[in-house]
Amino acid sequence: MSHSRRSCLLLLFAVLAAAQEGHPLTGTWHGSWGPNATQRTDITFVMKWDGKNITGIINPGFDAMPLQTAVLETKGWAVHFEATAKDGKIVADGKIENVTNVRRSIVGKWTQGGRSGDFKIVRDN
Amino acid sequence: MSTRLLTGVLLLSLPFVFLWAQAPGPAPGGPAKGKGKGGGAAKAKQPSRPTPRWPDGHPMLSAPPGEIGYWNSGTGGLTGKNGNNLPTNLENDEVPFMPWAKALYDERRQTQSKDDPHVRCTPPGGPRQFHTPFGLLIYELPEAKRVLILSGGGPRTWRAIYTDGRPHPTDDDFNPTYLGHSVGKWEGDVLVVDSVGYNEKFWFARAGYPHTESLHLTERISRPDFNTLKYEVTVDDPKTYTKPWTGGHYISWVPNQDFEEYFCQDNNRDIDHMVGQLP
Repeated sequence: MSHSRRSCLLLLFAVLAAAQEGHPLTGTWHGSWGPNATQRTDITFVMKWDGKNITGIINPGFDAMPLQTAVLETKGWAVHFEATAKDGKIVADGKIENVTNVRRSIVGKWTQGGRSGDFKIVRDN
Repeated sequence: MSTRLLTGVLLLSLPFVFLWAQAPGPAPGGPAKGKGKGGGAAKAKQPSRPTPRWPDGHPMLSAPPGEIGYWNSGTGGLTGKNGNNLPTNLENDEVPFMPWAKALYDERRQTQSKDDPHVRCTPPGGPRQFHTPFGLLIYELPEAKRVLILSGGGPRTWRAIYTDGRPHPTDDDFNPTYLGHSVGKWEGDVLVVDSVGYNEKFWFARAGYPHTESLHLTERISRPDFNTLKYEVTVDDPKTYTKPWTGGHYISWVPNQDFEEYFCQDNNRDIDHMVGQLP
């Protein structure tokens, strides 16, 4: 698939996911991960609930990664994500905070390749 | 009568006052109690006038020519059988939520709806329009082949229901909106409204039932007598509920008055009060 076609598809996905009050994970989320407060890497999630599964991508654009696993445990609002980046597998475990709010966030632990740290993403309004 | 005796009588009467307050609201054949804001509903039970009708015989949902009035929206819900609610309503624990939707609904209840977008003046989509305070008008425009529903409360929303037989737009043409796309037709004395194309930026009922863009509503609106509007809606959202479910309520007529001008955006202080449960 060409870059331009892939970009168009990712843009379309992002537009489709611009919802707010439905499934708690649906929507576009921005934030960062890193080993400490100063070494941060920006991340963007776009997720959608299809009625059975949560699907989505990380970092829409030329370096987009499909979410291979996205699980929501409603008890405690725990989430688990897996994806494959160029430098290794991503595994992120976190928790949705302030779940009723349109600007809710997910915070937790992030590992990517041999590195690990914390992450926080906030849902776009 | 001594003060002690009077106090005793008042205390003994409290349970009966409570039961009166919980009693069912209006039913066809009699006016409502008008418990909601905007008040002005009939104060005493009187026989209602018959349903006003158009020359072709179908019910008129507005004030007849030469009269004014509005529907006293503001009370009622889709679950529970108290007050103005329909006796056929489900109880909350009978709503066929998917697990995520039940968990989110419970969170919204536990946090006392502090994040309800309606309080931030978003438009009241679907049934929310029928229990938003400060009045409701339903005007049928036969020549234009549409019905307009005008809200006196919230951001003073109006909604069009097309009765010209047009279909919903195809998926490719849809731009999901707060009010969706509504088409209607009369089935006997009931206006049946089919709506799709909703966005996810609002709560379709005050109680906070979640929904997705797959929401499909079938509303059944009738006027069993002059003073009573019956509103019933079937909620079908296969990404949120395991099966369709139905609920509704009655709304009473406020005669001889227009609703006053109100805009949610003007001096809106609700947001400051929506803080959830204080520690």
